[in-house]
Amino acid sequence: MRQETLDLPLRERPRLRAAPWLLVAALLVALPFAGLGGYGLKIAIMAIVYAVLATSLNLIYGFTGLLSFAQIAFWGIGGYTAALLAVDAQWPPWLGVLAGGAVATLASLVIGYASLRLSRHSFAIVTLSLVLLMQLVAKDWVDLTRGPLGIPNLPTLEVALPGLGRFSSANPVVFYFIMLAFAAIALAGVHRLVRSRIGRTLLAIKQNEPLTQSQGVATLQYKLLAFAVSALVAGMTGGLFVFYLSVVDPSIFDFFYTQMILIMVIIGGAGSFWGVIAASVVFTVIPELLRVSPDLRLVLLGCVLVAAILALPQGIAGYFRERRLERIRRTLR
Amino acid sequence: MSADKQTTPALAVQGLAKAFAGVRAVDGLTFRVPAGSVTGLIGPNGCGKSTSIDCISGFQSPDAGQVVLGGQDIGGLPPHRIARLGLTRTFQNIRLYDELTVRENLLIAAQEYDGHGWLDAFLARRALRASEAAAGERARELIAEVGLARYDNLPAGILSYGQKKLVALAACLMSRPSVAILDEPLAGVNPTMIVNIERIIDALNRAGQTFLIVEHNMNFVMRRCHQVVVMESGRKLVEGEPALIRNDERVIDAYLGHAPQREPSHA
Repeated sequence: MRQETLDLPLRERPRLRAAPWLLVAALLVALPFAGLGGYGLKIAIMAIVYAVLATSLNLIYGFTGLLSFAQIAFWGIGGYTAALLAVDAQWPPWLGVLAGGAVATLASLVIGYASLRLSRHSFAIVTLSLVLLMQLVAKDWVDLTRGPLGIPNLPTLEVALPGLGRFSSANPVVFYFIMLAFAAIALAGVHRLVRSRIGRTLLAIKQNEPLTQSQGVATLQYKLLAFAVSALVAGMTGGLFVFYLSVVDPSIFDFFYTQMILIMVIIGGAGSFWGVIAASVVFTVIPELLRVSPDLRLVLLGCVLVAAILALPQGIAGYFRERRLERIRRTLR
Repeated sequence: MSADKQTTPALAVQGLAKAFAGVRAVDGLTFRVPAGSVTGLIGPNGCGKSTSIDCISGFQSPDAGQVVLGGQDIGGLPPHRIARLGLTRTFQNIRLYDELTVRENLLIAAQEYDGHGWLDAFLARRALRASEAAAGERARELIAEVGLARYDNLPAGILSYGQKKLVALAACLMSRPSVAILDEPLAGVNPTMIVNIERIIDALNRAGQTFLIVEHNMNFVMRRCHQVVVMESGRKLVEGEPALIRNDERVIDAYLGHAPQREPSHA
């Protein structure tokens, strides 16, 4: 038997080189000034929002193996919390965003602790119930939420940059940069988490939970951590987003969002950090391109999805992983 | 052989009982695992061996009885607490993290013992990197010891069945447990690999590792175990040295059914 060590781990770990990153950053900064127009800018903002939301789902579903329908509940909770605090309690919007993240996190700990002690299936059902419950609360608890009409005329987010002046998110370009900065921080945080040994442990729990328990891992704590972080990220995103729309209404809990981020995570490749971000951009842009045919738009989107599933049953990242596995097997033969 | 250090047993089970919907899977089981020994737990299929080790390792909570690990009662604790107190196990149907590398499989098995919390891990603090490096060194040694050095950085899922059993065995020993429970370490592996696994278990035991082994391979049990516990219908039938067990009429009956004529050369 040959004795040299083979170096072929299954998961891709692209080395983060400075040059390509600076290029990507420069492109993202230049984007709003590239003549996109208002419509193009809106799509760019949605792509960033979806990338963050899908990553929050990826953390709990892709890395930890727990199917959560609650991400949209958390984003709506964050949105409503921020809006209500800004309008009813006159809180500064930024503080409302933080509070939105905090309330969403708290909600995740409560339902997570209750359901994760039982099973993965109960977790999925409880998270689904939370979205449905939040839809009802948003529509029917009129005293608190103003009901189906929602809360209009939200204030804007203000940014004061020393030497450059004050900027208001009433200008979509300003909101683009606010969202971009938040996404950079949130994604860097999640990236750090999943590449740390915490992330390794989450993957282990996903693959074989009893084994992790037999190795001294308190799995409930790890699962709650992943769920809480995913809720924090989704809640703050919702808080920011309502100030961009300047209104929050029950449609923020729409199942459409859940469906979109599930598509992004599954086609990007559950458990692949970059695959999901790539899929988020692609699946924000594709439905817009399909607007060329308003009647057939959804039919065409369906066709794209079926084709994607047929061609990439394990998602974009899964395709590359399969090829890597092939290479490893060939090397071993 | 270090099996005669019998002052405090590494593991003592007293009156262990577990019933499922009225079936008494384990019914008052009592035995000891002397420190430094290889203790075998044998018995016909369905006699309660697996339920017993599930109760001992915390995957089932016992209805009654005591499980004492190095003087501490661990009965009814959750599995991760029991593991941290020094009792680890393998599983009958191999459990590994198929998509993690062999090395990572072992690192996870050691990480909860080094006292570093989430903040250390998230910030990748120097102290954490040092203890991960030390664990990596131990993982490398164990992987080499079971003869898989070449596969150190490969996904565990592509290994053969026997190789996976070796990884599971190595992972089980990463945290230097006071007792390691192996659930059928030889089942389903080829004869060459049986010799290999047997040699590894023996070497580890000579280095001081205490084992409790559930196994159907009688040649192995008779050769390697210092002490054998025979179960039948949830109870202990006999306990003693292999030579004693081999010729015990009750054991032969339990395995082969009633034998009108005793055949002394069994096993």
